Amino acid sequence: MSTLAVIARREIRLALRNRSALITAFIFSIWFPVMSALSIAVGADGDAAAVTAGIATITLPVAVFLGYIFCADAFLREKRDGTIETLLCAPVSLQRLWEGKAAGVTVPAYLMMLLSAAVSIAAISGLTGVSIAAEPLLLLHFAAVVPVWIAASAGLIGAAQLALGMRENQILGFVFIFGFIFLIVLFQQIVPAGSGISAATEAVLAVVGLALLALARFIAGKVTKERIVRTIP
Amino acid sequence: MPDLFIPSHTRGQPTQPTQKLLFFTSCEEIYPYVSHRSCGKYSPHNPRYLPHSLSILHRAVPEEEAGVNAVEVRGLSRSFDGREILRDVSFAVGHGEIFGYLGPNGAGKTTTIRILLGLLAPGAGEVRVLGRDLTADDDARARVGVLFENNGLADRMSAADNLAYYAGLYGVDDPAERIDELLTLVDLADRRDDPVGTFSTGMKRKLGIARAILHRPEVVFLDEPSSGLDPGAQRMVRDLIIELSRREEMTVFLNSHHLDEVQRVCSTVAILAGGRIRAFDSVTNLTAASGRPAVTVALADPGERARACETVEGLPFVTGCEPDGDALHCTLADPGATPDLVATLVGANFRIEEVRRSSRSLEEIYLEHVGRVEDGA
Repeated sequence: MSTLAVIARREIRLALRNRSALITAFIFSIWFPVMSALSIAVGADGDAAAVTAGIATITLPVAVFLGYIFCADAFLREKRDGTIETLLCAPVSLQRLWEGKAAGVTVPAYLMMLLSAAVSIAAISGLTGVSIAAEPLLLLHFAAVVPVWIAASAGLIGAAQLALGMRENQILGFVFIFGFIFLIVLFQQIVPAGSGISAATEAVLAVVGLALLALARFIAGKVTKERIVRTIP
Repeated sequence: MPDLFIPSHTRGQPTQPTQKLLFFTSCEEIYPYVSHRSCGKYSPHNPRYLPHSLSILHRAVPEEEAGVNAVEVRGLSRSFDGREILRDVSFAVGHGEIFGYLGPNGAGKTTTIRILLGLLAPGAGEVRVLGRDLTADDDARARVGVLFENNGLADRMSAADNLAYYAGLYGVDDPAERIDELLTLVDLADRRDDPVGTFSTGMKRKLGIARAILHRPEVVFLDEPSSGLDPGAQRMVRDLIIELSRREEMTVFLNSHHLDEVQRVCSTVAILAGGRIRAFDSVTNLTAASGRPAVTVALADPGERARACETVEGLPFVTGCEPDGDALHCTLADPGATPDLVATLVGANFRIEEVRRSSRSLEEIYLEHVGRVEDGA
């Protein structure tokens, strides 16, 4: 098994045993889609295409937030308790360690996001009576675009958590909440109600997601072991 | 660049005295000694596939590393935010030694270890572990083990799963067998499937040590291995360190505040204070009184102390004698002269009750050096 798989598998197992993170993610995965469903139901006015687009756009901020929840355990906790120092001494590059952790965070966050999407679809269908068809673009959205966005958010947040001190990480947490709200508003502006899900929108979202992933990788490559060790509390 | 500190008991000798310099270039050469499976995986840089029973082969040193110290620090300096933590620190640790690195809190011990492990960059000077700079050398890091204050364990995973994770990272061959062996060694075999979060501090520490040596490292850095342990567990750790050094010929770099522990297990000691090495020598030499061999002789009749001193003071191998409580304290020119001293006293009809080698404790020496620095000397 490659070291990437070894690291990712450990992070997945740890995430699935982290009750507090799972409960937080679960509540968020249920509460947020139900609240969003009300807004989407009103805005779509029974239009199935608009409902589909609403679901597709709302899942991205949810995915990003779920990535953030699981990052706290994989990156920040290990830095706070000093475990990261031992891992940095292993015969694995820092880049590989970051990749493994980001991959490990992506899997549970993605599973939670699928749960959230299922709840969203059920809630909206219940409220509007519109049945959501499993159209190819929507499936592509969940199968490709969403995981890329989760990986990008986990990678970016993880790299930042490794590089920043504890106080800066607290500030990062607040900034992230505002960023999350900003993302929701931004997506609602980008994808106007009634326009439906389109190949162009999905292509743009995929490209942006990949660009964010590349940015996360670039930033992670700039983080040094010295920086991490010197910011361990 | 300053000279390396070399302990006086090895001065004038090669700095790689304990290694058998065997070098195998092909599978066929070692085939008579090991299973074909192990043989196929063996390389001089990856000796972990050889069985313990073949310790000579297990510690075969590649040709290019012959004569290289396990740890070398030359002219190392490092500052943080304008404050100088390490100043021109130099020392070397030979293969197979148990080296004690002592110093008060904030002296720079952990900083030295972090620089050696490639976690921090040196401000000046250079460091080598097994002749390599570990900063970006994955192969060299695979030959080094480390135990920091944090044990490097995940509380939500079982003891066995934690070890299995590190076995995967280090590419340990037959991890299940090795994990069983180590869990038995640290007396945690019956807790192998329990989450580490349910363990006591001592149990976590023991598992941390097992983790640090899981991949059979050639050099292992232990940062306060006994901290938080009860006396029984401290003894277990001490015995384990000695066993590792003896059986697996590991070089142990021990950073500890337990001076008694250091005195019991370490062959060589360095005392770091005020950012500089204040003392570096074998424990035997450091603890010898006044740096010279000395003996304390208790006479059956303490009233004869003055006459006994007069008797031995003229002898060529006695450099000094003075009453010390109810006994005599004699310094000798030669550590082997104790029997001659006793024979002379017996020959002069003095009745001897006890003879013991005089030495100072490591604690006294440590406090003396650290105290001097604190006094600004």
